[in-house]
Amino acid sequence: MDSETQSGTYLEVQNLVKWFGDDPAVDNISFGIPKGAFLTLLGPSGCGKTTTLMSIAGLHSIDSGRIRVGDVVYTSPKEGLFLPPEKRDIGMVFQSYAIWPHMTVTQNVAYPLEIRKVPQSEIDDRVADVLELVGLTDMAEKMATQLSGGQQQRASLARAIVAQPRLLLFDEPLSNLDLKLREQMRVELKRIQNEVGITSIYVTHDQSEALVMSDEIIVMSKGHIEQRGGPLEIYSRPVNEYVSNFIGVANLIKGRVTQVTEPGRGTVQITDHGKDIQVACNLGPGISEGSDAVLSVRPENVHAERENGDGASLEGEVLQAIFLGSHVDCRVQWGDFEWKVIAHPRAHLKAGEKVYLRLDPEHTLAVQP
Amino acid sequence: MSTETLPRTVERSLWANRLRSLLTQENIVTIIVSLIVGAAVILPLITLFISSFKVLDPLGWDTTWGFGNYVTLFTDRIIPKAFVNTLIISSGSTILATVLGVSLAWINARTNCPGRDYLEPYNLIPFFLSPFIGAIAWHNLGEPQTGLLNVWAREIFGFEGALMNIDTIWGVVWVTGIFFAPLVYLFVVGSLRRMDPSLEDSARTTGAGLVRTTMTVTLPLVMPGILSGAIIVFVTSAGEFGVPFKLSAPYGWETLTTQIFSKAVGDDANHFLGATMAMSLGIITVFLIWIQQRYIAPRSFTTVTGKGFRPNVLDLGQWRWVAFGYNLSFIFVAVILPIACLIIVSLHPVWTGKIVPEAMTFNNYVKTLFFWREDSIQAATNGIVNSLILAFGGSTIAMVMALVVSYMIHRTKGFGVRLLDFLSVVPIGFPGIVLAMGVLVTYIQTPIYATLWILMLAYITRFFPYGQRNISAIMMAISEELDQSSRMAGASWFTTLWRITIPLLKPGIFAGWILLFIIFLRELSISIILFSTGTETLSVGVYYLTNFENEPLTAALSMAQTVVLLIAIYVFRRVAGREALTA
Repeated sequence: MDSETQSGTYLEVQNLVKWFGDDPAVDNISFGIPKGAFLTLLGPSGCGKTTTLMSIAGLHSIDSGRIRVGDVVYTSPKEGLFLPPEKRDIGMVFQSYAIWPHMTVTQNVAYPLEIRKVPQSEIDDRVADVLELVGLTDMAEKMATQLSGGQQQRASLARAIVAQPRLLLFDEPLSNLDLKLREQMRVELKRIQNEVGITSIYVTHDQSEALVMSDEIIVMSKGHIEQRGGPLEIYSRPVNEYVSNFIGVANLIKGRVTQVTEPGRGTVQITDHGKDIQVACNLGPGISEGSDAVLSVRPENVHAERENGDGASLEGEVLQAIFLGSHVDCRVQWGDFEWKVIAHPRAHLKAGEKVYLRLDPEHTLAVQP
Repeated sequence: MSTETLPRTVERSLWANRLRSLLTQENIVTIIVSLIVGAAVILPLITLFISSFKVLDPLGWDTTWGFGNYVTLFTDRIIPKAFVNTLIISSGSTILATVLGVSLAWINARTNCPGRDYLEPYNLIPFFLSPFIGAIAWHNLGEPQTGLLNVWAREIFGFEGALMNIDTIWGVVWVTGIFFAPLVYLFVVGSLRRMDPSLEDSARTTGAGLVRTTMTVTLPLVMPGILSGAIIVFVTSAGEFGVPFKLSAPYGWETLTTQIFSKAVGDDANHFLGATMAMSLGIITVFLIWIQQRYIAPRSFTTVTGKGFRPNVLDLGQWRWVAFGYNLSFIFVAVILPIACLIIVSLHPVWTGKIVPEAMTFNNYVKTLFFWREDSIQAATNGIVNSLILAFGGSTIAMVMALVVSYMIHRTKGFGVRLLDFLSVVPIGFPGIVLAMGVLVTYIQTPIYATLWILMLAYITRFFPYGQRNISAIMMAISEELDQSSRMAGASWFTTLWRITIPLLKPGIFAGWILLFIIFLRELSISIILFSTGTETLSVGVYYLTNFENEPLTAALSMAQTVVLLIAIYVFRRVAGREALTA
């Protein structure tokens, strides 16, 4: 029986629950990914993403649920199964890189192969190959402590992939690097993962990292999955206020759904100083007539104009306009609400002047609070 | 296939699976070590507690249960006085050690006293040497008739009578105080060195003078360190056996430890009364250590912010030579004078207080060290062999235990870790002689009694926490991910321990090993309770010689012990570095 081809899922996490003391760190989450995919678990600290990763790695036990990869059940308390971490055939890159300081780069990278009793001649070849892949060939005989942060990162990656494991896990691997190196390593990591084709799970709290690298993203908070989808989907169609706030920047205004004109479309009523305004928009999942909703509008989707055009415009005042070359970063006061707007330099917005904001129904989304 | 059998096989495989996932290398070792540590620490303390309620009838045949022993503590002719003497000795030596330790630490860490970096190792030497040997040396220096200092006072300065009499309770305070001064030093010097200089500078800018700044800013900031050191000295002096045994007990000042000793092995042996005295001493020391650990030690870090400060170095002007002289005087009376005296005495066939160059001989060394010769003294030569076995074997086993215990405390989150953490602090609260009484009453009827094993068991139980602290300090500084990444690379728990964890901890393991080696090689107060003919240790050999032979023979064996210890100290300093011991 090959469940791998049957369901298309290679890694499957079912109803995972993990408690730390009296708090559920992970509260009944399930997901699966196909072979070769790159999945990111995204969320703020304490959302349960690292706990999920550690559960897959086997670095701690779980309270209930089931984790399998291919045909191998990693852990399932109900069946009394717990495969120790060393038997799971996983490569892992840690936040601190965890390069052993008492060994050379080659010794570090060869370690997983030595443990697997690979013949020495083959070890030499594979270590040389993988060091070339990560660009550390010149550093092979250096002690690990002589490497820079970025080089340690590469050595750590080389060690994780050298044995071609079933699964590759990343625990915030870029968070200790400086910004420039981080941006460079994102692309590099993704390239190497593509090349070796190992199914990967990546944990981060950095949304731009998640957007750049992932095939799929799972946004987590407080031990739950908030949303799962591709980077574009998560960004353009967040399911609720939490996700739209966490991914990118969004203007979020509370309102109420007054009308559903056709499936997925309708109007939301928002209030400005006692004056009700109807805004046409797309409706997210779970939004029905009469329910409370939050309008989510990305700053680049707000059109700011000096003259009032047709339709429902919001009249406000420019608080601040910062010219950034390609665009202008604006703050617009509208009632008690401060809009974040990215305007075209040609709009000639100036602080203190009146401005009219127009919302495009296609790019205005009503989501659950 | 019947429908009933299916769930049952599922059930069976469920439990088989559970059992298999529980029986990991890590769990098995954890459980075994926990049981060993638990048994080693708890068993003697419980037996000691129970035994203290067993009252021996006047004929010494039978026991009844009751509080009789506790009543005896108050009604006995000697014990209440011994209790008072113990308090006087502990208080006196605590004051002396604190004054010496704090002043020396301040001079070395914060003043421009000449040669302070070279003097520091010598200031610390008494910490590693045996106070018992110190007492023997000072006996030969300050005894009224034959003491070298008294003889010189009479001959050179025409002094009438005796300059001093070391064989008093004040002699005990003197020797204990100078030997435990380095303990206070170690507790204080770290925070003096790492203190943020701006704290003192800001006091100076408000117009406070040097003395005032020192008294109102510097001293209060290092107060937790001073208090910790003082409490440790108080507790250690209360449990010290060798010094009062040599200097005060023979002259009418018994202490609790000398009384416990005579109840444990003397002619009027009454183990149950001994256990009761050990209990009462133990309760006091545990209470004080608890205060230190719970309230004082945690505060000592709040006074020290950050790291990498260059502390203010005070220009003492001409006074720096006074500080230099003071420092040298300490080294002179605590290290040079005692060792020189031992060498002189050990070279004479008999000691009368007179140096007779033409009579000098190495015969005392031959008789106490050359175990292959017919005329050697068995108690002494046995001691050398046994102590080396105990020091090598004991510190090795203790460090293995310390390694596993530290690993469990810092790397596993499972059940029982807190208990284990607690168990590895408890032995620090009990003086060796108290724990030894517990071990004695626990194992007296088992085959290990009167073997080296009972000594090794007691040594390890009492002292493995020191080794554990050495390892823990390094383990806390090493990221757990270094271990985890080895597991993820496919290595088992044991392979990870062997190839990753232990190599990373090597300096801590080796430093801890040498420290225990030093402690075991000079150990007296446990050995004196648990030895029997054939299992004498080095210090017991010295005890035997001082009790049943003469001073020159005693001095010879004392010197042998001192030389081995000095070599070990040298190695320790090379390995562990300067900050290894500082709290």
